[in-house]
Amino acid sequence: MTFVSFSDWLAQAPAWFQNWPEWIQNFAFQFYQTFIYADRYMFFVNGLKITFIVTIGALILGVIIGLFIAIIRVSHDAVVGKKPNIILRIFNRICIWYLTIIRGTPMMVQLLIMGFVVMVPETETQCVICGIVTLGINSGAYVAEIARSGIMSIDAGQMEAGRSVGFNYVQTMWYVIIPQAFKNILPALGNEMITLLKDTSLVSVIALRDVTKQAQNIVSLTYQAYVPYISLAVIYLVIVIIMTKLLGILERRLRQNER
Amino acid sequence: MSDNALIKVNDLCKYYKGEQIKALDGVSIDIEKGEVVVIIGPSGSGKSTLLRSLNLLEFPTKGSIVFDGTEITDPKININIHRQKMGMVFQHFNLFPHMTIMKNLTIAPIKLLGMKKEDAQAKALELLERVGLADRANAYPSQLSGGQKQRIAIVRALCMEPQVMLFDEPTSALDPEMVGEVLDVMKELAHQGMTMAVVTHEMGFAKEVATRVVFMDEGKILEQGTPEQIFNNPQSDRLKDFLAKVLI
Repeated sequence: MTFVSFSDWLAQAPAWFQNWPEWIQNFAFQFYQTFIYADRYMFFVNGLKITFIVTIGALILGVIIGLFIAIIRVSHDAVVGKKPNIILRIFNRICIWYLTIIRGTPMMVQLLIMGFVVMVPETETQCVICGIVTLGINSGAYVAEIARSGIMSIDAGQMEAGRSVGFNYVQTMWYVIIPQAFKNILPALGNEMITLLKDTSLVSVIALRDVTKQAQNIVSLTYQAYVPYISLAVIYLVIVIIMTKLLGILERRLRQNER
Repeated sequence: MSDNALIKVNDLCKYYKGEQIKALDGVSIDIEKGEVVVIIGPSGSGKSTLLRSLNLLEFPTKGSIVFDGTEITDPKININIHRQKMGMVFQHFNLFPHMTIMKNLTIAPIKLLGMKKEDAQAKALELLERVGLADRANAYPSQLSGGQKQRIAIVRALCMEPQVMLFDEPTSALDPEMVGEVLDVMKELAHQGMTMAVVTHEMGFAKEVATRVVFMDEGKILEQGTPEQIFNNPQSDRLKDFLAKVLI
């Protein structure tokens, strides 16, 4: 049973509801069909699972890729006077190409290429991995530039101080530079996280049933778009508001030592 | 100039932009254990570059530096090990602002010397006591005054038990009132026999504490000697001119 008619539904509603204006009855009916009938709220729940898994996976991958690239780019540019060594120069070149290609092509096109040319996933798990990898690689390019700006915002004296007590370059980055840079880039990083969450709405093109795809599925069952799509928008909005609040709390905690 | 100098600098050159700018132009100097060498000179004379070259924060274009028997300018050696034995104090303190004072002082001994946390903290506290800042152990650098920050920076370097301390204009960024407290700590250090190389504009400190004063100009050492020789009996016109302008 995928469908119930409006008149059948209204007939079994309580008596006090029968006198309400028709547009309210109509809205309630759509709401009933979207969420309650045949446990359709599970569409959203299942979709949200996929959305969260892909977002978090891509976020972690993106931060790792981004940090790695940022450090290569910064180390390369930090060498003054003499030429950086050949390995660093090759890596730097690769990073620049990566940034150019990823930032120069649309997210949707990258998903299509990864989904139908490069990875060609078959099972659902493979699709999830494909989604995480594609979005992670995409996000990494943006995180890289954010992280690079963060690292460059730290006074050169901090690197010198770290090196002068005997830390090597990587240790100084890890203990001294990155914790401070992280604090500075948190607002921009939050922005990127929000973009990433919303970009996951595109993964339906590689047959992933994320929350957006599930809303579309409900529309195709009920032939009513109003409630499912508005609800979808509200779901994204609520997640973003929660993320923003959490980031605000984190930011305040990290800034405690700056008074 | 004996053979067992702690630091032996030989014909050190540092060029920028090809050879257009010669920050260091053939500097040779030996620093013996226990010496307090104060380097003076006009700005742009290369004194900071020389000091920063000693632990390779600036890598020299030419020449060699031998520290404690090892040629550290050899690209194959691990400079990080040798930097652990050279404390450095900067003009702008460069404390780690995201860590408490205690963490600032103990992170390097714990991570690099493998000290136990309790031992490192006990040692840090003892040194803090000596500079009169034990009560600020849990504060953050931003909560301290400039003079306090610089005393902490000195302690941070001392926590690694260095064989030599390098001071790069340690009082130049301080309010006049706070210069004294930092110089007092440095004096105490000198009296305990610490080997020190100090770049400074504090002529009073040079006169009182230095075992040797080095005058640099245009990337070269023009004159060196005891404070009496340098301040009371300068030889070169350039030094006479310099002293006439800076001495109070």
